[in-house]
Amino acid sequence: MPDYMIELRDVTKRYGDLVANDNVTLQIRRGELMTLLGPSGCGKTTALRCITGHNIPDEGRVFIDGEDVTDVPTYKRELGMVFQSFALFPHMTVFGNVEFPLMIRRMNKAERREWVMDALRMIRMEEYEDHYPRQISGGQQQRVGLARALVYRPKVLLLDEPLSNLDAKLREEMRFEIRDLIDRLGITAVYVTHDQAEALALSDRVAVRNAGHIEQVGMPDEIYDLPQTRFVADFIGLSEFLAGTLSAVHTEERTATVAVDGLEIHVPATPEMAPGRKVLFFIRPNDIELLPASQESGINVFVGVVEKKTYLGDRSDYRVRVSEGLELRVQTDGKVRFEEGENVKVHLPIPHCRVIVE
Amino acid sequence: MTLARKYLNAILRSRKLLIQTLLLCFALMIFTPFLMIVLRSVGRGWFGRLWLPPELTLDWYRWAVEVTNIVEITKNTLVIALLAVLMSTVIAIPTGWALGRRNIPGRELLMSILLLPRMIPPIAFALGVAQIFYRTDLINTHIGVALAHVSICAPFAILILSATFEALDERLLEASGVCGANPIRTFIHVVFPLILPGVLASMIFTFTTSYNEFTLTLMTYGKDTVTLPVRTYLAIGEGYWEVTSAMSILLIIPSIIVLFMIQRQVAPEKLVGGFKGV
Ligand SMILES: Nc1ncnc2c1ncn2[C@@H]1O[C@H](COP(=O)(O)OP(=O)(O)O)[C@@H](O)[C@H]1O
Ligand SMILES: [Mg+2]
Repeated sequence: MPDYMIELRDVTKRYGDLVANDNVTLQIRRGELMTLLGPSGCGKTTALRCITGHNIPDEGRVFIDGEDVTDVPTYKRELGMVFQSFALFPHMTVFGNVEFPLMIRRMNKAERREWVMDALRMIRMEEYEDHYPRQISGGQQQRVGLARALVYRPKVLLLDEPLSNLDAKLREEMRFEIRDLIDRLGITAVYVTHDQAEALALSDRVAVRNAGHIEQVGMPDEIYDLPQTRFVADFIGLSEFLAGTLSAVHTEERTATVAVDGLEIHVPATPEMAPGRKVLFFIRPNDIELLPASQESGINVFVGVVEKKTYLGDRSDYRVRVSEGLELRVQTDGKVRFEEGENVKVHLPIPHCRVIVE
Repeated sequence: MTLARKYLNAILRSRKLLIQTLLLCFALMIFTPFLMIVLRSVGRGWFGRLWLPPELTLDWYRWAVEVTNIVEITKNTLVIALLAVLMSTVIAIPTGWALGRRNIPGRELLMSILLLPRMIPPIAFALGVAQIFYRTDLINTHIGVALAHVSICAPFAILILSATFEALDERLLEASGVCGANPIRTFIHVVFPLILPGVLASMIFTFTTSYNEFTLTLMTYGKDTVTLPVRTYLAIGEGYWEVTSAMSILLIIPSIIVLFMIQRQVAPEKLVGGFKGV
């Protein structure tokens, strides 16, 4: 059995001068849910359309289940797909929509009915079989879209921003519903979204995309904790980076020190680190500890002054000045209380300190 | 006198009454001529200043059918109308598809050129058509008269169909493909049902246009291709207003049948649906 259910090999797709996918290679394992995450216009849909066959790559090959399908028309690829616009057939009932793929496959009537009702039960829509798409809500339409995609038990399910036309509350509910369905069916899925929270919550692995290429592929916690490029860090919600220089690498302790605006910050070492290299340092505001000024000094403990405090209910947001040109954003839970103008110490725990070598 | 004044005052005071009065006038404006034709077609000895015909009869209808050979004329009219529908549709489907679904440069210009025959005074346009037809032996042929009608029917069919095709959501066709349907089955199960209302609308429109067309027929008909509107006009010249009225009523019947069929057959909510969301 081939290792990968879906494989894009060096796929390039252009629209005129615009390179929507530039030499993209992506491997999706059997049974996993892979998310393509990236800002709007970065070519996610184009990549998905190369899998469905709606786009033919200018260069490169596409494999499904080990078979080269680059030149196989869409209708022979045996895929299931859920669309952002739902794309239900307006002239067919809910039942008719879900029955459509089975009718196309010339399954007999009785069996069809059984399969459709199974699919409708799966999404709790069996009472709506006679409704037309416009008679049901957006969330219900998308569940029908899901049933239509899954009813013939395809090898692969593709979802292109399936939740972005729904309101926030429904979006969160359906996120789990989709994950649950995919788990139960054990199907391989490719999920496209621009919403990083959605991607992190749903996926087995995430491929973060940027303008035509993939920046990083990894499990959600890897992407979240160890972004490898500035773009990835930025995209998953880290906004503050500090430019610095590696001043020393301590092989034994497996740490390195970074000089950032006069501070010597210890960070976990990685193989590509060498003294003198320019780096970007970052740490999440809620990973920084805020301590009273009386606290002893130590590694990664710096003296600072609270410049600004914003109370956010369950959290507080501080701006702490630690040197002439350096202000850190710190978020603490509600229990820690400091006032503006107060002297404090900040602790940057080494495991939370991240560095991207430029 | 005082009653009229009272009414006038009431109108000035109440907007509702004003609107009702206007609506009534409007309805009278439309229905009175029609009523006149109906009465004329069944009345005998209705002359001078009489308000209603003194005697009712169906003789004029018998005359219309027997004397003017209406069966043959109706056949002509229908054959020509059906030919016009067929030709217009055959022309309009690919043209409408190209205009509606492809980015054609100068599309707006093309659209306005299509409507040109309607901008020229009909009689002048018909004159031009007739001159061509005399040279090409198309005068007094069904296909010729139908072709003349196509010159005004097809542009409208193209407009209707290009709007229909433009409204066809590409994503539905893609969805159908992912579901396993090849292009032919996608056409049968998705495209066709979705464009059917537009195609029907276009066919009905071309049919009624051709069926009622007068000017173009007048300039291109011959003894074998007399149509109902032309025959009705000729009957006026012959001086039989009663027969003319009866023919006018007969002329309306197919239109009413068509309208009735549309109402019964084409349940709009079955054919067109909407989406929530995008
Ligand atoms: N059919 C097309 N013709 C021309 N440009 C296109 C077409 N489809 C997409 N693009 C362009 O390609 C880029 C990537 O588009 P897309 O794959 O839809 O991005 P995403 O799904 O990530 O938002 C965008 O800049 C978009 O404008
Ligand atoms: Mg997209």
